[in-house]
Amino acid sequence: MGTFKLDGKELTFEAGDTIIRAAWRAGIEIPHYCWHPGLSIAANCRMCLVDIKSARPMALPILAWDEKKKDYVEATKNKLQPACQQEVSEGMEVESKSAPVLKAHAAVQEFLLLNHPVDCPICDQAGECKLQDYWATSQKKLKREGPIATGFEPVHKPKAVRFGPTIVYDGERCIMCTRCIRFCDEVVGDHVLDMRERGNKNEIFVSPGRELDHAYTLMTEHVCPVGALTSKDFRFKARVWFLRSAPGVCTGCATGCNSWVDYDPRPMSSHTGGRVYRLRPRDNANVNEFWMCDDGMLSYKRFHEDRVLTGRIRDGARVVEVVRDEAIDAATAVLRSFAAGGKKRIAIVLSAQHSNEDNFLLAKLGTALAAGGTRSVYLAAKSAAGWKADAILRDADPNPNRAGAMAVAAGPVGETSALVKAVLAGEVDLILSLGFAANEAAEDLAGLSNVPHVNLTTNIGPLTQSATIVIPVATTAEASGTFVNGKGVAQGFTRAVHAPLGITSAWETLNAVATALGHDLALARLPDVRAALKLGAGSPATAAEA
Amino acid sequence: MEPNYEELDADGVLELPAEPMRLNMGPSHPAMHGTIRMVLELDGETVKDLDIQPGYLHRGFEKSCERGNWSQVYPYVDRLNYVSPMLNNVGFSLAVEKLCGITVPERCTWYRMILGELARISDHLTCNSATAMELGAFTPFLWCIKTRDWVWDVLEQETGARLTHSFGRIGGMAAPPTNQMKDAVLAVLPRVEEAMAETEALLLKNRIFLDRMQGIGNLSQARALELGVTGVVLRSTGVDYDVRKANPYMFYDKVDFDIPIGHDGDNYDRFMCRFEEIRQSIKILRQCVEKIADSGPVNVEDVRVILPEKQDVYNTIEGTIAHFKIVMEGVKPQAGEIYSYTEGGNGELGFFIVSDGSGTPYRVRVRPPCFFNLAACREMLVGDMIADIVPTFGSINMIGGECDR
Repeated sequence: MGTFKLDGKELTFEAGDTIIRAAWRAGIEIPHYCWHPGLSIAANCRMCLVDIKSARPMALPILAWDEKKKDYVEATKNKLQPACQQEVSEGMEVESKSAPVLKAHAAVQEFLLLNHPVDCPICDQAGECKLQDYWATSQKKLKREGPIATGFEPVHKPKAVRFGPTIVYDGERCIMCTRCIRFCDEVVGDHVLDMRERGNKNEIFVSPGRELDHAYTLMTEHVCPVGALTSKDFRFKARVWFLRSAPGVCTGCATGCNSWVDYDPRPMSSHTGGRVYRLRPRDNANVNEFWMCDDGMLSYKRFHEDRVLTGRIRDGARVVEVVRDEAIDAATAVLRSFAAGGKKRIAIVLSAQHSNEDNFLLAKLGTALAAGGTRSVYLAAKSAAGWKADAILRDADPNPNRAGAMAVAAGPVGETSALVKAVLAGEVDLILSLGFAANEAAEDLAGLSNVPHVNLTTNIGPLTQSATIVIPVATTAEASGTFVNGKGVAQGFTRAVHAPLGITSAWETLNAVATALGHDLALARLPDVRAALKLGAGSPATAAEA
Repeated sequence: MEPNYEELDADGVLELPAEPMRLNMGPSHPAMHGTIRMVLELDGETVKDLDIQPGYLHRGFEKSCERGNWSQVYPYVDRLNYVSPMLNNVGFSLAVEKLCGITVPERCTWYRMILGELARISDHLTCNSATAMELGAFTPFLWCIKTRDWVWDVLEQETGARLTHSFGRIGGMAAPPTNQMKDAVLAVLPRVEEAMAETEALLLKNRIFLDRMQGIGNLSQARALELGVTGVVLRSTGVDYDVRKANPYMFYDKVDFDIPIGHDGDNYDRFMCRFEEIRQSIKILRQCVEKIADSGPVNVEDVRVILPEKQDVYNTIEGTIAHFKIVMEGVKPQAGEIYSYTEGGNGELGFFIVSDGSGTPYRVRVRPPCFFNLAACREMLVGDMIADIVPTFGSINMIGGECDR
């Protein structure tokens, strides 16, 4: 650790830090396109040029305009250095806002926009585009007058090139920063992208015979500082300045990548409001660094697709859709008659897809109902069939909260297949289950509907299809909660959108059912639930808070 | 009126209450401008005490500003002192430009002074003629309001709206002066002078008018200063404080005009000060019209502040980005806070604005001149008759939109 001066301000740096990284650590942004904290240094965009005052300056001979002589005279100037490449040394003095630096920034920016198409109105990057931001901070001027502005045909390059199933490339918008190439090479280890030709013909291309089809293709769009790479999924869906972000945790696997849940905050009744439009990685050096995988990025679709939005009551072989409150009433009646009955053997099915809070309330209600009887605990988790783990981010377990659910159970936990056997053997009188996911297919779980089976779920799935009463609940985008990832790190997430149709989170729904049954769990508020979780056995919420 | 028999005592004598009567005047009262409640303590018709309660027109103006971008505040400031909205437009523009460090072209400054002084004329015409009307003199009101309409014709020709112009912009104006601007201004000024002369001829030798105005609603100079009173109400007490002279902004130091002052601080002085100020405004306007250039830029040449030409927006990427930045994010003043003040229609109109460096105002605080003037109103009225409330309250020129915000 040493110190150096940036624009007269004393900053600390760690051994091996470049100027831009040391500034980045201190929360100061030096304009840049090609540099990314998670990638190697290319130093090709020249946007981060700074003036190093302390070192012996490399003087460049230049011609400077002399106002008195009305002529150009010979002079010298400091050679500027790229802040992304220059390592910091003790006591270094760096100027990032001096006149020659600002002039260089303006010149680089003008150069990058020289042939840029007039695409902002149809470009998804508009609103979060570095070209726009640095125009406002560095260039500040309209295109200069002359042949360039009038009658000059800009360089044309391929537009809307399909790079793979997820990514579209626009050569005219590309500034050749090579971030996408470096990402594929260095993080994924798949040299599928490269650059070809030079000068005006310079473009990014996909290796012949290949597609951009590895598990992290959407990250190439994420690292692209301009609108050259766009995601097919997000293209033309929303304008980013209308979106707001809530901190989320990916539900894709047990890694628990931190994400930003980008949603439209306008009311659901509006044309586009009340929906999640995309996930973006939220930097966390301990969990996912700067990245997420494609499946994780697209896991937001589950917030809106295959949702259970009404109650469902099984009537023989038929399933009847009813309003949510009617399903809650039916479930309450079933639970009441169970509590009043003679044989009281209840099976609780926790979910590795639901938050600690949801699982905790389910376990609490199960314990309360089982008073005077027996209680067995099972865990429903999504099958890993078809799921490919890797050494980068993707965990072998495609469930975000197995560790949390196990901690809530605080005891032996059975598989769903064991539950089917127990039901068929007549050892269970009532099932109270959470979530849609299960290791088995729906037909293998058919036996679960032999006894009253109350299921709280967000989406359609095998467990839901084998229930006799289904209550819809809120997704992780619609309620705050906590997941514990595979490494035992507890990570909270915050509600983004409102749940539709008066639907509430599973823990709120369970608390309401418990209250209707006469069990006051005193867990009506999220802080109450979280406090109880910390006190409770296993303490999942305290397991290494993120 | 027949006495109510229950109030007669045993001997059939009508007993009048000895304690002061409490009477609510307003807020639904035409003389209270629909927005003020006065709780009066009356001894007969004499006002023993009164409590002035503003706030009925509070509409969250300052909070509303924190939602849009800086340019979107203009329609709100129009609705502060809605009798002279152009002065508010100019005041707010100057505040944001001070924070941004922008200097507008000279032509814009002269244009702002012209529109602002026209607004001041319409403000004072309204206030004085309404005071006369409140004393029963309806004809001057009709004459002056007719003249105000002619002034508004000029404003409409320039800005497109008669009342809520929303014409100011950060770094300039929404449009340059029209070709007819000078002629229109010079044509309307003699008509204003004529209307004032006629009005004064009607009123100033009228015994009733003088008796109702002179020595009524007195405010001492010391108390006026203590209460933070500004504008005509302060100047009528003999203090020559006018922001245009005390802290010259725009080009007020380049034009020749005087500050009329009174010495009694009564209704009559306020009335006379206002008419004299109109004459001074006319003097300023004639100088401005002479000095404003016929051509030249009105807006600053910074495309981060002023929208670029459509030709550039549609044909160059820089123009498109500039348009996007201004429309989607708004003009971004540097982080910081400033206080900027101008002479509004009824006193020192101040804007204390705070920016966090984003396109959305962090805080917009207005110093509404008439709020302080209203605070002095109680002292003006205690001891006067109930009928004096109406002209006195009228003469402080309280405008609900500005007072309550």
